[in-house]
Amino acid sequence: MISRRSALRTGAGFAAAATLAAPSILHAQTKTLKITTWGGKWGDIMKATVLPAFEKEFKCTVSADQSFPFLPKLQASPKNDPLYDVFHTNSNEQWSAVGEGLVMDKITVKEVPNVADVYPYAVSDKVVGISIFTSAIGLGYRTDKGLAKPTSWKDLADPKLAGSRGGYIIPVNSLGQCHLMMLGKVYGKGLQDLDAAYKALEALKPIKLVDFTGQMEKMLLSGEVSMGVIHDSGIYRYDGQNQPVDFAGPSEGVMALEQVLNVTPSSKVKELAFAYIDYMLRPDVQKVLAEGVWYSPSNKKVKLDAKYDAKLYTTEAKVAQLIQPDWKWYNARKEDIDARVTKLLKG
Amino acid sequence: MSAALNKRPFDGGRAAYLALNGALLVFLLAPIAIVVVFALNPVPYISFPPIGVTLRWFEKFFAGSDFMNALWLSLWTASCVLVLSILIGGACALALDRGNLPGRAVATSFFMSPLMLPAILTGLALFQSYLLIGIGRPVWGLILAHTLIAVPYVLRTTLAVLHNFDRRIEEAAAVLGANPTRVFSEVTLPLIRPGVFAGGVFAFIVSFDQFPVSLFLVQPKAETLPVVLFNYMKFDLDGAIAAASMVSILLALSVVLALERLIGLKAYVKL
Repeated sequence: MISRRSALRTGAGFAAAATLAAPSILHAQTKTLKITTWGGKWGDIMKATVLPAFEKEFKCTVSADQSFPFLPKLQASPKNDPLYDVFHTNSNEQWSAVGEGLVMDKITVKEVPNVADVYPYAVSDKVVGISIFTSAIGLGYRTDKGLAKPTSWKDLADPKLAGSRGGYIIPVNSLGQCHLMMLGKVYGKGLQDLDAAYKALEALKPIKLVDFTGQMEKMLLSGEVSMGVIHDSGIYRYDGQNQPVDFAGPSEGVMALEQVLNVTPSSKVKELAFAYIDYMLRPDVQKVLAEGVWYSPSNKKVKLDAKYDAKLYTTEAKVAQLIQPDWKWYNARKEDIDARVTKLLKG
Repeated sequence: MSAALNKRPFDGGRAAYLALNGALLVFLLAPIAIVVVFALNPVPYISFPPIGVTLRWFEKFFAGSDFMNALWLSLWTASCVLVLSILIGGACALALDRGNLPGRAVATSFFMSPLMLPAILTGLALFQSYLLIGIGRPVWGLILAHTLIAVPYVLRTTLAVLHNFDRRIEEAAAVLGANPTRVFSEVTLPLIRPGVFAGGVFAFIVSFDQFPVSLFLVQPKAETLPVVLFNYMKFDLDGAIAAASMVSILLALSVVLALERLIGLKAYVKL
C-alpha cells in the first residue's frame, strides 16, 4: 500500500524531474525556423495554410519575414548566427549572397529528397540553391487597344506605343535587368551583348518606368501602359476578373524569374531548413501555391487543374522555352550597367 | 470720394507674394488630394477623373489584420516615443541651457546629430548593434531607435523657448519664498510646456511615419504601418494604400488637435 508520505515523495520526484526536463522538451518543441517570404497573395496563402501545416507537422514555429530588404539584413547579421535559416529571394540576390558566403552553393537530393523530381532548370548551373517555382518574363498588353498579340520582343519598339510602353527602373528591378539582357539577345549577339542592349533600350524612349511589378500591373489595368514587360503571373492573376489584359511569350523566348530557396551555412536548425525546402517541393504544396499565384511549379509530378496547366510551364517542352540569365555575370557588371542605363533613360 | 480714396493701387509685389503662397499651398496639398481621390475611387489604380465613390478600400484596410496590427503597433510606438522624447529632450534642453556645461555647443551638436545622419544608416547601425549584443529586434529596441531620431525635435523646440525665457520670473518666485522644486514645477515647467509639447507632436509624427529606421528593426508579425504599406505596395498596389494613408493623416491631425486643445500650442506659435 502506498502511504501518503511516499505518494507525496514520489509526486515531488516526478515534479522535480519534469521541471528539470522541461527546458529541453520545450526547446525541442519550439524550434524556430527563420525564413524570408513574399507578401501579397503568396504571403496570404503561406500564412493561412502552408506554414501552419508545416509547423504542425514538424512541431516548430516559423518566423516569416516579409519586410524587404532581405539581402542587406542578412549581410548585416552575424555570419555565425544568421538572421535567416532559409533565404527566399529571386535568383539575382542569391548570386550576390553566395559570393559572400551567406548561402549554400547547391541543394542536393541528399539534403532535400524532392530535388529528385524537379525540372533541370530548377537546379541548373544558373541557380544557387533551388528554384521552387518560376514565372516567365514576357510582354503584357491591353486587348482593347487594337494591338495584335505581340510575338516578338521587338513589338515593344512599335512607334505606335511611344509613351504607352512600360519598363522598369533597371538598377532596382530584376525584370528590368532581364529585359536588358533580352534586348542584347534580340538585337545583338546574345544576352551579354550590352552595347546592342543599350542601343535598343534607348530606342524604346519614351517609356514609362516603374519600380515594382505591382505598379506595372496597375498601369496595364488602368490603360496608362498598353504594352509592358511583366511576368506571366502578374497578368494571369486577373484571370476571370474581366480585365482587358493578356500575356504573350515572345518567340525569342521568355526569361525565367525563379523563386529560389537556399539555406544559410551557419543556420542552427539546418535539418529543419532542409525539411522546409523539401516540404515546399511537395506536389500538394506546390499545387496550392501554383494555383494561388499562377507560378509554374518546379516539381514535375505536380498535376495542376486544366486552366493552370494550359498556361503555366508544366511540361519538359514548355520549360525548354525558359531562358535563365547568368546573374553571376550580370552582378559583376551591375554598377557599370546601372550607371549607363540611368544615364540613358534620364528624363 | 471716399470710395476713390480707399481704392488701393495695384500692388505687384503683394500679388506675387499671394501667388507664391497659393502655389506653395497647392504643391503641399495636391498629394493629399490625389490620395483622397485614390482612396475613394472604386478602381484598384490611380485614375482621374474618378469613376465613382466607394468605401471598399477603407473596409479592406480596417478588415485586414496585418494593417490593424501594424496600425496599433505604430500608435503604441509613437505614443511611447512621445513620452520618452519629451522626458529626455526636455531634460537635455534644460541641462544645456541652464547647466553651465563645458562644451555646450559640442553637446548640443551631439544631441542633434541623429538628424544629420541618413536615417537608413542609423537603422542599419542599430540593427547590427542589436544583433551583436544578442537582443534581436524587440519592440522596445524599435521604440528606443525612434526616440533617438525624435529627441532632437523636442530639444530644438524647448531650447527655442528657453532662449526667450525671462529668468526674472523664476527669480521673483524664489524671492517670494518658493523652493527650487516649486519654482521648477510652478514657473519653469508651465512656461516651457508649449515648446516641449510642440516637440512632442513632431516626435509623435516622426515616429508614426518613420520608415528607414523601422525597415531594419521591425520583426516578423510586429511591423509598423509604413513598413507594412511598403511591402504591400510591392505586390498589391490598390486603394487600400491610399485608405491607410488617409487614416494616418487623420490620426496625426487628431493628435495635433488634441494636444492643441489640451495644452494650447498656439502659445508656442506666438513666440
